[in-house]
Order: sequence, then structure tokens, then C-alpha cells
Amino acid sequence: MDFEWTEKDRAFRARVRDFLDRELPENWDEIRRHGPGSREQTEFSLKFCPKLAAAGLLVPHWPAEWGGGGLSNWEHFILGEEMWAAGEPRGAQYMNVNWIGPTLMRFGSDEQRRRYVSQMAAGKAIWCQGFSEPNAGSDLAALRTRATPDGDDYVVNGSKIWTSYAGLAEHCFLLARTSGKAGDKSGITIFLVPMDTPGIDVRSIPSLIGHGDIHETFFTDVRIPASARLGAEGEAWSIINYSLANERVGIPRYELSARVLEGMVNELIVRGAFSDTDVLARAGAAAAACEAARLLVYRVVDQLANGKDPGTDANIARVAVAKADHAVSDFGLDFLPDTYSGGDHHAHLAHHERAIVAGIAAGAAEIQLGIIARRHLMLPREAC
Amino acid sequence: MRFEFNEDQAALASALDQIMLSAEAGWKTAENWQRFDWSQDLDRTLEENGYYDCASEETLGPLAAAAMVYRLNSLPVAVESAASALLRPFCAPDLPRPIAVIDGEADSAIRFLPVARSLIHIGKQDVRCALLPAGAVVPSESLFAYPMGVLGDVPLEWSSVDVDAEATRNRWRVAVAAEIAGSLKGGLEAVLAHVRDRHQFGRPLGSFQAIQHRLAEAAVTIEASYLLVLKAAQTGDPVDAATALGYVQEATTTVVYDFHQFMGAMGLTLEHPLHRWTYRAKLLRSSLGGAQLNQALIAKRRWGSR
Repeated sequence: MDFEWTEKDRAFRARVRDFLDRELPENWDEIRRHGPGSREQTEFSLKFCPKLAAAGLLVPHWPAEWGGGGLSNWEHFILGEEMWAAGEPRGAQYMNVNWIGPTLMRFGSDEQRRRYVSQMAAGKAIWCQGFSEPNAGSDLAALRTRATPDGDDYVVNGSKIWTSYAGLAEHCFLLARTSGKAGDKSGITIFLVPMDTPGIDVRSIPSLIGHGDIHETFFTDVRIPASARLGAEGEAWSIINYSLANERVGIPRYELSARVLEGMVNELIVRGAFSDTDVLARAGAAAAACEAARLLVYRVVDQLANGKDPGTDANIARVAVAKADHAVSDFGLDFLPDTYSGGDHHAHLAHHERAIVAGIAAGAAEIQLGIIARRHLMLPREAC
Repeated sequence: MRFEFNEDQAALASALDQIMLSAEAGWKTAENWQRFDWSQDLDRTLEENGYYDCASEETLGPLAAAAMVYRLNSLPVAVESAASALLRPFCAPDLPRPIAVIDGEADSAIRFLPVARSLIHIGKQDVRCALLPAGAVVPSESLFAYPMGVLGDVPLEWSSVDVDAEATRNRWRVAVAAEIAGSLKGGLEAVLAHVRDRHQFGRPLGSFQAIQHRLAEAAVTIEASYLLVLKAAQTGDPVDAATALGYVQEATTTVVYDFHQFMGAMGLTLEHPLHRWTYRAKLLRSSLGGAQLNQALIAKRRWGSR
């Protein structure tokens, strides 16, 4: 075991930081304040990601034939940490980089790959993820949106909800049911749907977590060609499991949390309010929570880098990541409450808005705990 | 960044696993219902085979030693491994063991003192050690699952050790953190076995979501503690040492409470080993200044106090 970074990793991180220092504009704090799904940040990403691509930093871990640099999981992860901590200037495009692109490379038809992957590698594609529905959130397999074959086409009817980025996305990575009833995993199919297809209607839902981040998306007699299907009918569940393997630990939120904590402490020091044992202990506990999350996540990255299935270690890491976000957020609320109303503490506000999502996005923490209990601790399934 | 043991570390871990399966490492009620079970046989096996010296081996190092302390503390029997494996190689490699440690003032009972052959004292400015002659120790009655005692009237011959006191105290922080994390791990395994087997309301206790989630949270905490300990052992960084100890000391309260809740009345008896792990953790929660002080120390070391 070795907890030190390699020279190569350090150099890569320095390269990413240099790029961010150089390319993020002076008013970046105001732009990022609106959230990764906002119009401001999405539009920014369409200027920023092509520059990242030109510098070889958009998809460095992709194979060379798709515009990548063939780098490892570690570089991929370092990139994610630095981007998230900087306020995610890639906006929605981080999804392309992390999993939509690699999924299309592996399961897409030649036409789909040609059409979509190179655009993603160029930093010019905004996608949304059409997964959750009003009655299918944590229980994703309960989804009901139906794609009915009709000649060479499918006709999609149903609705998606809490869809991030849908307002400005050009395409949707859509899960729809081609057979079976709600709950039947083998009846779900993936479609790659242009969002300007007639019959798609997007409504923005005002939210606590930035502007334009959450949507309801309605599909009414949306006709899409069979060529928009990814993989075979009923293959969605196994494809998604592959796709999300690299996403298991989710966003490296602790990196932003650790840096925001640093800023909070500096603010308290300026105020001469960083000396009581209680304040110090809470700051120390928050820092320890970030470090705990970091190490649990790194263990998973190491397994992925070695081609191993991290199994429940990924679920364990996710729980710790959510706790770290809340530890830092609560520290700020307790000791710097004035910075959450008015003023210009963009970082505290932005972090607080992210923190409230930490235990919910990409699978609720309670789902993770259930998986840890059953698959890691080998406890019997809950009775219904 | 690598999370797998190297070949020698893996070999050490697997040899240790074998030893931990032996009868002397297993659970049995103690004589006269005393609260601890000091396993002299296991202690001797480990000493004779050089396990306590592993931190000095280049390919094993403090990280392997910390992993060993963690593993040994998951046993229901008590052996003195923390001071022997994580202090002795750096302070006084020839010091007879078992070893008891005094951090600061010797103002309360000290664990392992009745079975120890020597003593390390980590003072404010210096580190000293002494042999413990016969009659030097008076055993104490104690709640905690360790042989405990106080120093009697026999004068000790202290010799000073040429090491930095604060660096030694940091090593001790890592060692104690490894002990707490290991104890909690041992408790978790015992509670898991219980909730898988024990049926109430017609179903295993472990099938109740209220119990599942709290045990899963305990598992997250323990795994994190283990990694924090290993990192601190490897880096020798003072912030890492405070982080490892502060984190696990703070976690102890909730985890120990949950373990006893799920074990119910069985866990209140001395016929079940749960107390061996939880009462060690309860004692160690207060060591080196306790949870709050060590958490504050993380902050002080990172940012200063202003």
C-alpha cells in the first residue's frame, strides 16, 4: 500500500490546475453560483470544454481513436476532483466524459458512435439523463415510460422527472419500457433521443440547488427511429451497470468540501474566531470526514485502475462522501451563519446547495446502506 | 496511490490470520468472570515469531504493523500489540515486552500494567522507559476489558530514550487509533453473527432495516478508520495521526451504543464477548486527551489556532 501520489499523478494535477487558473474567467464565481445545470454554466461549458479538449484535458482517459490520451483511472479521477472543486466548469458535459461517451463507444452502432462520440470529445455536446420518473426514483426498475414499436419506429409516451440539464440538452439518454410491467428490469431499453423531436416538452422545476437544474420532461407520441435504440431491446439494465461502473463512487464532492472548509476556517481566522476548542474540534471533525471519504473513494479508484470490481466498497465510499459534505456544510451554518444570507460568499452558498443533494443524487444514501447491509455484511433481505 | 498490500505485507497478514484462528486466540469466558482475557500463549507465539518487530522490516514497515494491531484487536482476547509493534521498534527495540504506556501523568489505572515487563513514559518534553521489577504494580479493579493496574511504591529506574516526544506521541496516536478501529471491527463481526441468527417477530433481527442501516453505517466508519490508520502509519504526518485518532474516537460513541442495542440483554452478560471490544473502545475514546481534543488537534495542526 502507498498513500503517496506518483510523480505522474502530481504532474497531471498541476497541469489541470494550471489550465483552470488560466482559463476560468474573473467572473467565474458568479457564473458557477447558478449551478452546473444552469443556462449560464451550460453556455459557459460550450466555450470551455472545446478549450479543454484542445489541451488534451477533456477526455484524457479515453482511447486515442476517440480523441483521448489513453490515460488511467487515476488521471480521470484527478480531473474529476479538480473540475468539481472548481465548480464544475464542464457543466453537464462531465456526464459525457465519465460514462455516456464510453458507453456509446462500447455498445453504440457505428452510426451512433460516429454521430455522437466525436462531438462529445470536442466538448460540444449537452446530454441529459432520462432515468427517474414520478413513480421510479430509487426504485428505477419501476419506470413506466413506454416505447412501443411501430413499423421502423418506436413511439414513446410517458414522463421523466428531476432530470438534470434537460432544459438545454440536445440529446437524452433515455430509459423506456419496451416490454413487461413496472419492476421488470428485462423490459427496459435505452434510446438516444434528440430533444428537439416533436412531442417532447420540458418544464423547469424551481429547486434548492441552483437555477435550471431540475426538470420534468414529458413524452407524448414521440416518434423515434429504431436506429436511435442503443443495444438490443431489454438490454438497458446490463448496459447501465457497465456504464455506471466508473461512476460508482459518484462525484468527488469531498474535494470541494475540503477546499470550502479551508475557506471557512480562513474566514474565522480573519475574524479572530478560530481558537475555541469547540470550533477547532468541529473543523477537525469536518476535515477528518473529508479525509475518510477521500480514502474510501481512492480505494475504489485503485480497484478500477487494476481492473477489479470494487463491489460494495463503492457503496461504502458513497455514504462517506455524503457525510463529509454535510459535516462541512453544517460547520459553516453553525459558525459562519451570516455568510448564508446576502453578501458575496458564493463558495459557501454553492457548496451548501451541492451538499443537500449529496445523499440523494445518483442513488439515495439509504439505498447504499441497504446494499452494504445485504451484500457486504451479508444480512438477510428485509421482509416486505 | 496503491491500496493493495505488497507481497510481504500480504504474507504477514495471511500468516497472522492462521494464528488468529488458533484456540488461544478464541473466545472463552475468563476465570472468576474477570472482564478481560489476557492471552499469554498468543502473545508469546507472536513475540517468538517476530511479529512485533515487523515495523522495522523495510518491506513491511509501520503500515503493516498498524494493520496487524487492527487485526489483533478484533480478537476477544487481549494481547499487547500497539506499544510493542508501533512504539518499541522506534524507541527501544530491546525493551522487554509486554509494554505498558503512560501518556502524560500516571494519574489513573494503566492498561496492561499487571502483565507488562516494561514501561514507556511519553512526557511533555521527553520519553523514558523503565523495567518493571516484581511488586512494582498493583492490579486494579476495572470496568474495562484490559488487565489494569497502578504503580506501587517500588522505585523504578528510568532511562531516557533519545527520541522526540511529540513524534512518539503521534506514533502512539496511530497505535491507539488502530486498537480502537480493530476493537470496533471485532464487535461488528460479533453483532453481525448475532443479528443473522437471532429471530424475533418471526424473522432474523438483521432483516430489519433499522438495524441494517445502522450496522452499515458502522461498517463505513470502521473501514474509513482502518484506512486513516494505515495512511497515518505510513506517512508519519502529525495531521494524519490526529485525524486517525480523532475520527475513530468520535465514532466510538454511536457505534458502541448501536452494538449493545442490537445485542440486547445477551451483550450485558459476561457470557458473551461483546463487552471485550466495546469496553476497550470506551476506554480508548478518552486516551491522549480524548475525542474532542484530538479533533481540535487536527484543526490546530492544519491551520493553527487564532
